[in-house]
Amino acid sequence: MEWLRRQLSKELWSPYAAGALLGVVGILTVALSNSLLGASGGFENLAGLVGKAIAPTAFNNVYFNFVMPPGITWQVILLVGVFFGGMIGALSAGKLHWSWIPDVQWAKVFGERRWVRWGLAFSGAIVLEYGAGIAGGCTSGLAISGGMLLAPAAFLFIAGMFMSGIATALIIYRARY
Amino acid sequence: MLNTILALILGLVFGFLLNKAGLTKYHKIVNVFRLTDMAVLKFMMSGLVVAMIGLYGLREIGLVTFPAIPATYVVGNVLGGLVFGVGMALTGY
Repeated sequence: MEWLRRQLSKELWSPYAAGALLGVVGILTVALSNSLLGASGGFENLAGLVGKAIAPTAFNNVYFNFVMPPGITWQVILLVGVFFGGMIGALSAGKLHWSWIPDVQWAKVFGERRWVRWGLAFSGAIVLEYGAGIAGGCTSGLAISGGMLLAPAAFLFIAGMFMSGIATALIIYRARY
Repeated sequence: MLNTILALILGLVFGFLLNKAGLTKYHKIVNVFRLTDMAVLKFMMSGLVVAMIGLYGLREIGLVTFPAIPATYVVGNVLGGLVFGVGMALTGY
């Protein structure tokens, strides 16, 4: 019990331990719900919901009608859980706080200006979500969940993601790489 | 209803583990692309290994049936991955 309490109050676990437990979560997801741990899909379901309400004609297409139908889906509920789960994780280590700039590394590269962080986070997220839409999933829904079912798509996606991710980081960080 | 509660609980644990592995931090995500911090890969790959063994083992003894696996369309999967990586390195999500 004491051991458990000490582990919970640690800020960081070994990524191997956390990863192994994630594997158990992945197994339970398939075994109990017969679904996959998709994160980006939920955003698309929500986007479809909002889009259909404000611009029904623009959103009346194959993608939002059949591929990613709008609604409060299983994945949306999962996202709510992920959000609060992350908060609980930070809270358990006493690290939950509000911050505008993510960390020292960001400030070193991009400076302390808030609009830069918000602008880049927002536009980067659009690119990311668009990519996930093309590929059919994101890191968790395609790479991890697809990978554990040995889906070829997952490994193609991981290859693409690391190729462009490394190139992008090289460009952003240049000499500081 | 039960499935909704399950989604919430699985999500909570998933988010909790992401946080404990440090993957809710900007620098952890970006540094895997700078090849200076491999936490993302360690987390992903150990998750994959455990889940692969567990799922295929459980299927072997007939306890689980697999859901439809993500569709394979080579160009789309790779292209999507390429676009995704740019966004991921920018935001640190």
